[in-house]
Order: sequence, then C-alpha cells, then structure tokens
Amino acid sequence: MTEPLRLAVVGHTNVGKTSFLRTLMRDAAFGEVSSRASTTRHVEGASLQIEGQPALELFDTPGLEDAMSLLDYLEQLRRPGERCDGPALLTEFLRGTEAQHRFAQETKVLRRLLASDAGLYVIDARESVLPKYLDESQILSLCGKPLFPVLNFVASSDNRAEEWREAMARRGLHALLSFDSVAPPVDGEKRLYQSLALMLPDAGPTLERLIVDREAQAAARRRSACRLIAELLIDVAALRQRVAAEPEAVEQAVGAMRRRVREREQQCTDALLRLYGFRQEDAVTGELPLADGRWQDDLFHPETLKQLGVRVGGGLAAGTAAGAGLDLMVGGITLGAGTILGGLAGGVSRAGRQFSVRLLGKLRGARQLSVDDAILAALALRQRQLLRALEARGHAAQQPVSLNAPKDDWLRGKLPPPLATARAHPEWSSLDERPDLEQANRQAQVGALAEEIKGSVD
Amino acid sequence: MTPSANQAISPFDRHWLAETVRLSEGHGGPREDSEANRQARAAGGSFETRVLTRAERLAERDGLVGALEQWRQSAGVMLLALGLLAILLGGTLAGAALEGEQPVNVFWALGSLLGVHLLALLVWTVTLAGTGGGAVGRLWLWLVGRISRHGHGARLGPALWSLLQRAGLTRWGLGIVVHAFWLLALLSALATLLAMLSARRYGFAWETTLLTPEAFVTLTRAIGGLPSLLGFPLPDVDTVRASNLDQGAGVANEAARQAWAGWLLGSLVVYGIVPRALLLAACAWGWQRQLGALTLDATLPEYAILRDRLVPASTPLGVSDPAEPEGIAAHAERPHIAGQGAMLVAVELDERHPWPPALPKQVTDAGVADTRAQRQQLLERLTQSPPARLAIACDPMRSVDRGTLRLIGELARLAGAARVWLLTSPPDVFVDESRWAQWREALSELSIETTESAPMTWLEHGHD
Repeated sequence: MTEPLRLAVVGHTNVGKTSFLRTLMRDAAFGEVSSRASTTRHVEGASLQIEGQPALELFDTPGLEDAMSLLDYLEQLRRPGERCDGPALLTEFLRGTEAQHRFAQETKVLRRLLASDAGLYVIDARESVLPKYLDESQILSLCGKPLFPVLNFVASSDNRAEEWREAMARRGLHALLSFDSVAPPVDGEKRLYQSLALMLPDAGPTLERLIVDREAQAAARRRSACRLIAELLIDVAALRQRVAAEPEAVEQAVGAMRRRVREREQQCTDALLRLYGFRQEDAVTGELPLADGRWQDDLFHPETLKQLGVRVGGGLAAGTAAGAGLDLMVGGITLGAGTILGGLAGGVSRAGRQFSVRLLGKLRGARQLSVDDAILAALALRQRQLLRALEARGHAAQQPVSLNAPKDDWLRGKLPPPLATARAHPEWSSLDERPDLEQANRQAQVGALAEEIKGSVD
Repeated sequence: MTPSANQAISPFDRHWLAETVRLSEGHGGPREDSEANRQARAAGGSFETRVLTRAERLAERDGLVGALEQWRQSAGVMLLALGLLAILLGGTLAGAALEGEQPVNVFWALGSLLGVHLLALLVWTVTLAGTGGGAVGRLWLWLVGRISRHGHGARLGPALWSLLQRAGLTRWGLGIVVHAFWLLALLSALATLLAMLSARRYGFAWETTLLTPEAFVTLTRAIGGLPSLLGFPLPDVDTVRASNLDQGAGVANEAARQAWAGWLLGSLVVYGIVPRALLLAACAWGWQRQLGALTLDATLPEYAILRDRLVPASTPLGVSDPAEPEGIAAHAERPHIAGQGAMLVAVELDERHPWPPALPKQVTDAGVADTRAQRQQLLERLTQSPPARLAIACDPMRSVDRGTLRLIGELARLAGAARVWLLTSPPDVFVDESRWAQWREALSELSIETTESAPMTWLEHGHD
C-alpha cells in the first residue's frame, strides 16, 4: 500500500471548507458547520478509505481572514534584492513570533499546506473576485505546492464562476475544479477525483480506485434502498386483517391498521436514513421533511396524497366513510371486493383450512381489512422521493428538501404486478401474526418490485 | 468464548449465523452492535469477512451458537429416524415382492421393488427445476422445523432455508438427503431379498391376459440386458417361454429359478441402487462445489446498512493543530482627533452597489478601498488630514473576517467620529439575515456605531 495522498483544504473563512469535507466523507457529523465566519479554528484530518485502506487524507483548516496584513508582513520579511523563494520565506515566517500571535490562524493553514501533497483552495463562487482573495491565493502559492481552486456553490444561480476562472488563470491557476458541497451533482465526486488524477499523476491509480469504489458503493446503496422500499410495499400490500361487521370494531381495526402501516413506513424511513449515512439526531435530517426523522405529513391524510399526485376516489378524498357493503371506504382504507376475491383465491391456493375459515368468516359477517391502492402508491412515491432526496443531498446541506408531486407517470393508474400478487398472500407481510417471509415466491416478488423501483429511479 | 472455540465454527456455519442475524435484524430492527462492530473492525479483512465476524460475535452474545449445535443435533436425530424408516421401507418392499401368492409373479415383484422408487425419482426430476428435494427432503425439513420451533431454533430453520436458497444449495442439500434415503431403502431391500432367497425356495412365473408370450420375452431380455453386462444371469428365451404360469418351468426347474432370482436382483441393483448411488454422488459433488462458492450478498439492505460501520468510507483523523483559546479583542485606545470635514469611504463593494452615491457638497468621496495599495493610500490620507466624521460603507452580505474588521477599526481610529453604513442589498439578491446580526455584533465589539440608512445628514451636520 502506497502512502495516501494528503490534501489540505484551504480557503477564505466561511466558504464551506468543512462542508466540502463532510460531503466527500459522507459524514454529516464531521467538524462544525455554521453560517458564521471562522467556525473552524483548528486543523482536523479525515481519511477517505477503500475497503478499510486509507486512500486519501484531507485536512480541514481554519479560514484565511487577514491575507493582506500577512502579505504586508511577508514583504517586510523579505530582504530587498533577494529572489523570492516562497517556501523559504514561509519557513522563516513560521519561525518568527508573529506566526504564533497575530497570524496564528494563518500559520496553521500554511503549516498544513506545506506538509501536504497539494492544496484544494475552496472558493465561494457567489462572491465577487475581491483583491483580498487574490492576495490569499498569492500567499498559498508561496507554499510551492500544487494548488487547485475548487469552486463551491456553483449550483447557485448567482455564481460568478466565470470571473473566478479568469482571475485564477491570471494567477497561473488553470486547473479549476467545480464542486457544490450542498447539492453535489451526480458525478461531481467522480469529476473531482478525475481532475485531481490528471493533475497529480502519481496519485492517479489510487484516485481511480477511489472512483470505482465510490461508484460501486453508490450503486449498491441504491439497490439496497430499492429493496428496502420493495419490502415495505410488499409488507403493506399483503397486510390483511379480519374484522367483525360492527362499526365500532371496524373503526378500531382501521385505527390499529393505520398505526401499524405508519410504524412500518417509519421503519423503512429509518433504514433509508441509516443506509445513506444520515442520522436522526443530525441537525441535517431535521431539515428534511422529517422532524427528528419522522414524517411531518400523515400518510393517510388526503392532502398528503394530493401533494404526491395520487388520484383518489371521492370517499377517500373527502376523508369520510362512503356507503356500506364490500366497497365500504373507511378513511384511507377500503374493503374492496377485489381484495376479498384475491384473498379467497390465495386461500384456495394455500390450504383448504384457510379457505374455510375465511368463508366461515364471511358468513358470520366478518370482513377483511386491507390497505388501499392509493395508500400503497403514496407510500411508494414518498419513499422514492426520500431516496432521491438522500442521493442528491450532500452531507453538508442545511436547507430543507422540498417534496413535490413527481414529474413522471410512475404508479399512475396501475400498481406493479408484485403488489397484486402480494395481496393474495397475507403471510408475506411482516406485520402478519404468522409471517412466512422467506418463501421463494415472496423473495422473487420483492426482487422484481425492487427492480421496478430502481428502474423508476435510474 | 475462547479463540480456539471460535475456529471450530465452519465457514458454512458462519454464513448460517450471519443469515440468522440478518433476518432477525431485518424483521426486528437493528441490534445493539457497537462492541461486535468494533471487534469486526479490529479483526479486519474484507467487508464480507467483517459482516461474518460481526454476526458471529452477536450470535455468541445471544447464545445462537449453542442453539445451532442443538439444532444440528435435532437434525441428526431426525436423519437417524429417516434412516430407520428407509431400512423399514426397504424390508417391507422386499417382503411384499416375494411374499404373497406362490409362485412369485416376476413382474409384480419387480414392480413392487422398484415402482415407488422410480415414481419418486420421476417426481424429484420434475421438481429439480424448482427448489428440488422431493417429498422426503421436505418431510425432513418439516420434522426439523417441528422439533425446533421455540427460541433461537425458530430463527435458525428459516435462516438455513433462506441461505440454501440464495446460495443455490437447496437442491444439492436436499438431494443428498433424498438419495441417501432411497439408497439406504434399496440396499435394505437388497439385503432382505438376498436373505429371503437364500433361506427359502421361491418359484417364479409370469401370466398375461392380453399380451403375447413374445412380448414377455422381449421385455425380460430388455430389462435384463443391462444387468447381464455386469454379470447378472439373464434367463434365456426358452426359459422365459417355459416360465409362464401354465408350463411352470420357473417353479420346477432349478436353473430357471436361479436365473429368475438373479434377474430380479440384477434389476434391483442396476435400476435402483446404482442410479441412486450416482445421484447421491452427484449431489454431494454439487454441494461441495457450491459450498466453495458460498459468498455473502453484500447488497442486501441489512448488510449494506452495516458498510459504513464495518468498513468506513471515511474516518476522522482527529484534530492535529488545536485552536488557540480565543483571545480577547484588544481595544485600542481611541485617540481624540478633532479632524475636519466629512468623508465617505467604501470597502469591498462590487457592481451590485453602484458607487459613489449622490453626495452633499461638504462630504468628500474617498472611493473604494479594496487592494492593499488603495488601503495604504487611504490610511496615509486619513493620517495626514483626519476627517471629523467618517462613514465606512460595506456590504453586510459578505462574511465578517478579521482583515476587514481590522481595516474598519484602523479607519475609525483615524477620524473624529466614525460610523459603518451596512448597505441594503438590491431587491433581487438573496439576503441572509443572520449576516446582519454578525456584522453588528462584530462592530459593536469594536465600539463602532452602525447604520442601515444613508448617513448623509450625519455626515453633513454631525447629527441625525
């Protein structure tokens, strides 16, 4: 194993150096981030690893704040007529007393950069190119290390990336990288590493491996996420509960069922957050449409369904019970004739015993309660949106993600066939009293549904 | 548990335990696993290895390892029971073939010896496309499931099933059980047959209502052809013809009786024992091969969630250069300066703020101080002729930094009175309200007044 590439992340104060690191690390807990200037006042390292082997070491540094005075001071140090040797000058400066006092913060940055293989000079691309920033880049250049300007916040509409590009080129810094740490583009990380590999050929193979590893992991994460959602949908679609005909009994059962579905959805949401490395207690997730990792909008509220673009029948939209009989709508839950028929068919195919119990139940006036198609569609859409939001979200994001009605036609009208199959197998639901989850057929349907979800996300 | 005991756990058992833990975590939520994760990280290896190590540690903690041993014992007992059943079945088959009416109808005898076995073989072949295993395999699984329905056993059974399914081991594993069962049954039948034929005298015959004797000759020779290659006797054409129920050669003739008995034994060996033995060997081979290829599917959600904990994509290296204790901002004593006139200066403005604004005649515009040279010049100018009132305009949407604050402080000390004018952003620009507060706070620490409206009146007259 070769030595990992060491990069110092430097830049003006409050340009998002720590955020940049957080996003690359996929760790929202690294360092401290705030809108205040000089939040980071120490040097903190992070190691990016491939299968447990360090590949890249990044060092977060305090922001440069007073480049102009430092440059003035450095010019004082320079003996007239002497050729400018940046590193030597800086070494002399670092030995001096001012380095420990007035320029203590700048000292940390320079010391770190001198000890690194290269520097990533983070720039807030929304800022105008002020002379103080140019002075900053001049001081950093004195370290004699390759310096790569990284334009942060390029996703912002009022960015001045072009001005920066030109200004940096004038300073001899042509190798500009773009990376938005709040809303990183899908292949942003890859492009960043690729550019670095081009400019640091020695680290090329390591960076290549890092790219491959990160891509493989992203693909694996997405596959797992789709499977989690598929499991949730099968669980809820298969869920069925027998209930007596009395209105109070129905009402009670409806309440209980909703509670169980909500809890099951929460379980899936928690797992997705875990999968994508966002923790519930993180401030960041507090700004998702979740409060402490819990959904704000109730799944069974008509307004939620409307927001998700799920078409619902009159009874459901009104949120009231409409009529009686087999198509009785109770809140978000319908007693559909189709469900009962499906149940009967499933019963026949499974065992005569169940069939008779069910038929007996029907004769006694007991009915089956199962979750409506609209709710299933809403669940699927909502979890898919969460998945997309989590994928697109940098671990540095602090703005809320808005969940809007999806733009594609996924799940409009017909539900995927695996869900229809699951309707006939109450034992496929983990919420069932006697679940049988390892059935080959169930696994196959979960797999097929996960593929379909993945297809709609890709 | 001691390390040596850990090594006793076979790779297959490690996968089995991992699957059990995976299923229980998938359905019952994540476990408290910080210690197990730490141990797995310390043990090192690939992600898959670490998942297995973690599962093993959790299994040890929860007593799953012992339960696995128990499960295996129950399964062994059940296998023993199945073996006894097979021996019993074989004996019964052989008995049914020879006992009953005399002389023995050769084709009835052959049918009762091989019929059930061939039928079962057919069923097994048909179900091979699916999970395989046939009735006997399922019976065994069901029996094991019955005896270990409680505690950990209830989780081990489904986990084994799920693991075998995913690894493509089900058909081989169940195949071994099924074929071993039948091999044992047929061997027992062979032994019984040999014992009966040795100890008693049986006569053999065939009879028919519809078929011609020629058909029997052909059939007998076709069935006996393969065994005869292995040295089993084959009744010749005349013997077969003469062995029908009426002529009775199979009963009366000693050589014919031995030929028929040999024919029966040969058929049992060649069509019963040999195929089952071959299939058993094939299944054992398939099992070994698949076992060698046993891998962990790391994309299963329950495992994928563990990745960041077991093989972190990144780890903090800690603070290498700690922050100094925050120094108290030195309040430079503000010298008393009388100064003359009023001056307006701006720092760090861009084109969003057109500069300078319309100024009253008495107010001097000192321009924008951005570069080091401009700053130096401005400071020189103020030192030479300090103004009585100085307004410093700046854009509060920029983040506060020490450099700018220092400049503002220096400028303020060079004037009789100074104010910082925090410019209002144009309407189309995103405004971060918190920045205003940060500027005001920072400037009040420097005891500099701030204003948000144009301070022209103050500059002109010295009061608002």
